[in-house]
Amino acid sequence: MRLIWNQGAGLSFRPEEFFGREEELASLSRVCLEGRSGIGASVMIFGPPNVGKTSILLKLKHDLQRLPEGSPPPRPFPFYFSFSKILSHPLALSQHFLQEYLWQVLAFLGESPLGAFDAEAMCERLGTFGLTECREFLIAHRMWTERGDGLSALVNALSLPFVSGREIFYPVFLFDDFQYTCKLQNIPDGAILSILRPHIKSGHFPMIISGSSPGHVTASLKREGLYGSFQMMEVGGLFPGASAKMWASLFERRQIGMPPHIQARAAARLGHVPIYQRMLAEEVSFRNVQVTDEIGFENLFALSITEGQLNRYWREFFENAFPDRLQRARAIKFLKRVVCDQFPLDTVEGALSLLGTSPAEGGEILSSLEFKGLLKSDFEQLRFVNDPVLADFLYWAFERGVLGKTSSQVAASLVQAKLSRAALDPVEGEREKWIAVTKELMRRWDCREVPTLLFRFGGFRERFGGKGLLEVVIGMEKEAQKLRLPKISSVSTGYKTRRGGPRFDFDLVAYGFHDAEFSEENLVIWAVDVTTEKTLTARSVEHFENRCRLLSLEKGLKDEQLRKWILFEGAVDPAALEQVARYDIFLTHRSQMRLFLNLFGMEELDLEADVRKPAEMPPGTEPLEFELVLPMKADTEVVAARVAEEVAAYASLDKDTVDRVKMAIIEACINAFEHSGAESGKVRLRYILSPEKIELFVQDEGKGFRGGRAGEESKRNRGWGLKLIRELVDDVEIMTGDKGTTVRMVKYLGSGSEKEGAGSQGPE
Amino acid sequence: MNYLTVRTRYAGDVFVVYIDGYLNSLMGEEVERVVQEALDGGGRKVLLNFEGTRLINSIGISIIIGVVEKIMERSGLLAFCCLSRINRELFQMTGVARYVRVFDLEEEALGHFSQSA
Repeated sequence: MRLIWNQGAGLSFRPEEFFGREEELASLSRVCLEGRSGIGASVMIFGPPNVGKTSILLKLKHDLQRLPEGSPPPRPFPFYFSFSKILSHPLALSQHFLQEYLWQVLAFLGESPLGAFDAEAMCERLGTFGLTECREFLIAHRMWTERGDGLSALVNALSLPFVSGREIFYPVFLFDDFQYTCKLQNIPDGAILSILRPHIKSGHFPMIISGSSPGHVTASLKREGLYGSFQMMEVGGLFPGASAKMWASLFERRQIGMPPHIQARAAARLGHVPIYQRMLAEEVSFRNVQVTDEIGFENLFALSITEGQLNRYWREFFENAFPDRLQRARAIKFLKRVVCDQFPLDTVEGALSLLGTSPAEGGEILSSLEFKGLLKSDFEQLRFVNDPVLADFLYWAFERGVLGKTSSQVAASLVQAKLSRAALDPVEGEREKWIAVTKELMRRWDCREVPTLLFRFGGFRERFGGKGLLEVVIGMEKEAQKLRLPKISSVSTGYKTRRGGPRFDFDLVAYGFHDAEFSEENLVIWAVDVTTEKTLTARSVEHFENRCRLLSLEKGLKDEQLRKWILFEGAVDPAALEQVARYDIFLTHRSQMRLFLNLFGMEELDLEADVRKPAEMPPGTEPLEFELVLPMKADTEVVAARVAEEVAAYASLDKDTVDRVKMAIIEACINAFEHSGAESGKVRLRYILSPEKIELFVQDEGKGFRGGRAGEESKRNRGWGLKLIRELVDDVEIMTGDKGTTVRMVKYLGSGSEKEGAGSQGPE
Repeated sequence: MNYLTVRTRYAGDVFVVYIDGYLNSLMGEEVERVVQEALDGGGRKVLLNFEGTRLINSIGISIIIGVVEKIMERSGLLAFCCLSRINRELFQMTGVARYVRVFDLEEEALGHFSQSA
């Protein structure tokens, strides 16, 4: 019985086995300590399952209970509570919550814990500290329980911590596994948040919620209008230094060892996740093996994955997440392709088609995966966890379950794959990087003119073969023949399918428009392949051309509407060069690509950092996000502008910036109203505020430019809106998908150009 | 039916239009209508006062461009005044500012009109 108490988790937590996370803990305890002055912030911790979120909460609790003596009251009382799935009945949950709270308060006040879980007795004891509120609560709670009114009982239980304590302590809420609050029996999703809402909004209580399924929780937060009140904190693996310390402690206690360079390799192989490190240490001690070199380690790892600790761990996880065998097999097969084979997939439609099930069943699988924290969906974008151990487990499950191999066969191939893959990995990464760079480059095209020679490797080599870089750059400037690039509205990373349809059979597919005119006739599609083969052969050119033909057939494109582009490094076959010319394919060599980047002011090295780290924010300054849904009615855009004003006030932006942002958002809304043939008649807006920029997303659910209704007004308005937006903000991106069109606008903050010409101010 | 009205007044022979609030299509059309009436009545000098204009959208701007064209066709005189910084920028971005004199204060604009009488 004790084990399922949350206190049980608290007791089993060993602070001496906790390593790293200094930054996270520092900012969290700052939040908690500010509660003393009545300022409470709310933080949401998210990350993959078992990455160590609970440990962070428990460590925080541990630290808060051991604040140096002499700090003035009230002291922070860290109340840890885990919403586990066994408490899915509201009455059970409320009962448990009350008991847990009383128990922890007593323990906090220095009382030795009671043997039995007697709420009344605990309440009596609290009375001796002058804390008498709980009596009323218990009476009310008993009444609701007798009536079987779960919701009222919950309201009652959850409200108690907010009224007790006062001078002696103030509560700091550490709510774990929060996603389970979305799955209570007979209670609407988000009810818990509705109960907590006034307390969160009051801003007096530090509250930290954690869960592996940010999608579910953030969705409820958004519904409750609380999303903006929460700071987000993502938890990943440890820093290498911390995992090294962790190894040392694990090995010391078990009296085993591993050479330091293998330790580092092992930590990296395990993604620096503490729980894996612990399991592997157990594996070493259980099997009593001596790991002395890399092969020894890979062998042990493969054993653990195929039949040992790591295997058991993930197997139980999947059995738990998918009790139905068939569904489990589907999920594993699907995940194997995404996580292990790195199938680039980021849309729900793509996932459903890969699952190959009915949309209903596929949706169920995806939602279970999301609930378990293996995937995160944000604004229709899917992101899967990147966990090397899970990837190998999935490989095992697939080979074993689908292909019927034995565990030792799989283990052997794992070891072999790892040892041989080690040499290949960097090359693969290089290609990915190149694709990412090209993607970014295309985003910046924006109707610019570039020397045509950059797209014609043959001609380029003839003219500049063997010349120095300076000569080439000067020669490029004088180059008369220019190619006007389109305005790119979206670039997606495609994937190479081995079987099946031609849909995304390219490394990159970009949609754009000539002359920035958004019409069907102006549409142009760029199909791009990046090849890192040593020699570009006629065969691969032929293959590329065939796929292009299929694409233009499928999309009904005219010749000039499809641009074909191959990027390559190394050498090229004469026959391939001939074909490229015959099919009118653009061909660009890596060396030409450098000139391209130069032309667009992109340094390859800088970009690398950019691509790897999508979140450019310094730690601790999480962006604030606000959301708004507008009905498509005349003048509702004013509401959007008004919200923009409020959001901007949050960051105390200067008036000029606010005005520009307001105007831009008005134009984007009007555009959305006009161009979308949406049935739902709604426009979704997101405002994301961070120290260095304000980001605005305006999304309509219609068919984008395709379904544009040319009303009287839109004729008058033609072209102005986008032009203005471009002038008003620093960055505009238009993404059209099946679900509608999203306009993303970015205004960079800080010392901007808007400061100049302040003399021409009108009366204000 | 028309709940939206635009304040106007005559300052001598100058027809002054006050554009208050949100210059969108409705407001724009109303401005267009009153200016048209003034022109039909023989007026030649029009001053648009944007002091109370809190927001402008592109449709509003398109209509104002129509108004500018109308007045130029009849070789009338047109000026804007009291533009906030952002609104001034908007007119610059759309090129309207090239055809219209812009003044900071209404008095200045009226002074300009009386000189060019």
